[in-house]
Amino acid sequence: RLEEVPLEVLRQRESKWLDMLNNWDKWMAKKHKKIRLRCQKGIPPSLRGRAWQYLSGSKVKLEQNMGKFDELDLLTGDPKWLDVIERDLHRQFPFHEMFVSRGGHGQQDLFRVLKAYTLYRPEEGYCQAQAPIAAVLLMHMPAEQAFWCLVQICEKYLPGYYSEKLEAIQLDGQILFSLLHKVSPVAYKHLSKQKIDPILYMTEWFMCAFSRTLPWSSVLRVWDMFFCEGVKIIFRVGLVLLKHTLGSSDKLKSCQGQYETMERLRALSPKIMQEAFLVQEVIELPVTERQIEREHLIQLKKWRETHGELQCKSPPRLHGAKAISEAEPAPRKALEPVPSIIV
Amino acid sequence: MQKHSQKEHLYKLLVIGDLGVGKTSIIKRYVHQNFSPHYRATIGVDFALKVLNWDAETVVRLQLWDIAGQERFGNMTRVYYREAMGAFIVFDVTRPATFEAVTKWKEDLDSKLVLPNGKPVPAVLLANKCDQGIDVLMNNGIKMDQFCKENGFVGWFETSAKENININEASRCLVKHIIASESDPVQSVEPDIIKPHLNSSKIVSCSACFKS
Repeated sequence: RLEEVPLEVLRQRESKWLDMLNNWDKWMAKKHKKIRLRCQKGIPPSLRGRAWQYLSGSKVKLEQNMGKFDELDLLTGDPKWLDVIERDLHRQFPFHEMFVSRGGHGQQDLFRVLKAYTLYRPEEGYCQAQAPIAAVLLMHMPAEQAFWCLVQICEKYLPGYYSEKLEAIQLDGQILFSLLHKVSPVAYKHLSKQKIDPILYMTEWFMCAFSRTLPWSSVLRVWDMFFCEGVKIIFRVGLVLLKHTLGSSDKLKSCQGQYETMERLRALSPKIMQEAFLVQEVIELPVTERQIEREHLIQLKKWRETHGELQCKSPPRLHGAKAISEAEPAPRKALEPVPSIIV
Repeated sequence: MQKHSQKEHLYKLLVIGDLGVGKTSIIKRYVHQNFSPHYRATIGVDFALKVLNWDAETVVRLQLWDIAGQERFGNMTRVYYREAMGAFIVFDVTRPATFEAVTKWKEDLDSKLVLPNGKPVPAVLLANKCDQGIDVLMNNGIKMDQFCKENGFVGWFETSAKENININEASRCLVKHIIASESDPVQSVEPDIIKPHLNSSKIVSCSACFKS
């Protein structure tokens, strides 16, 4: 159920967001904190798709690559990937109106977006966890925009998550677990004792950015914050869920065994996933980018000791809208090359 | 009735095989007795629990681990396989490529997991979607028996999650082998020492379970 936002408040928010979107570069450069605050309050549904494109930098990316999607869209694609993608088309949000019919528009667009990605990054191909991500994007924007937004998620927000060896997600599992030690020592101790490897419960959470885990209104609020603040939000959501599921001896009474614990983490209490509660907890949880990066270095070192060098090299992770816009500043109209004739 | 003297077994069973062969559907059919064409693709791993009243004295609890079929999730299977006691390897009878992948899955399983007695875990092969009428096996039961022998499967079944065919039977076959390998760790049931069956009935399509 959606949290009730009074209509007047919603209209006010819409006009604030319209103003921000119309002067985006200025807001991004000077009032980033205000953008963050407004993302935490929830982006108005009517502007959500547009806002996600601005935040992720996919709008800029599309403008820099005009026609690229159409070009990829016309290509046939590698049958190896097409086969797998086609098997997954009817298995994403199967009860959502947009994806319910075989060969309907939703499934067609999903195919186009995922196929285009395999052509854009042939070395990565297609990973099944990309489908729910692309499906959520398609619920908010047309195929071309969804494609570039997917590119930003795969390359800037969660680099390496979907590539062949799935190393990045396993590393993040270790980082999550290590952060849990500080956030909830009780939960940490319990999971250690039960020998429950993080990848047993966090793979779907992180790879699908909670889109298949949380109630829909919470998914949208988490994604609003994720697009603005980056992977930190995903870590925090995971930590909040773990803390409120396994964080006290009382809660642990009913999950003494390994299987019971995993069952509990799979069937989370609706109370802790409820929009207002979850968002508040996520905002308040003191887990910073710096902590994540520090832990990343520690876990990477351990990984190298046990597994050797990473086999899939990914670009560094960018922590949200601000970092992305700084790494890839919007081209300024004034600096566009002027056509000239060289004599 | 001596309830207090009931023995309880707890087994972790793996359900593995290529993407889209029907692993999730088989588990849902077995555990919840229903079928839907609307299951989501499994990402990572999923679980379900089935309780079997094995016989008057024995209750068997089966933890079924439903493992994502896409190849790249194979990078995580070592963690998923840990401490499993048996496995179903599933393929789709309408797609030959999924059968070709069976040996790859079996090798992955045996290379990452052995029983405490050092033996490979009992595995049953499931030829799923047998209701579809496009059978790449072409009813070639003898060849399948041979295949199971050569690849170390304790048995095989043609199954349909949609029509509820042979899933209970396949599970009983696997559990029987697990119990046998547990109670008799030295002389565990091995497919290569079983004599070819002479007059087994046509319905029984498990190569190793003719004793039942």
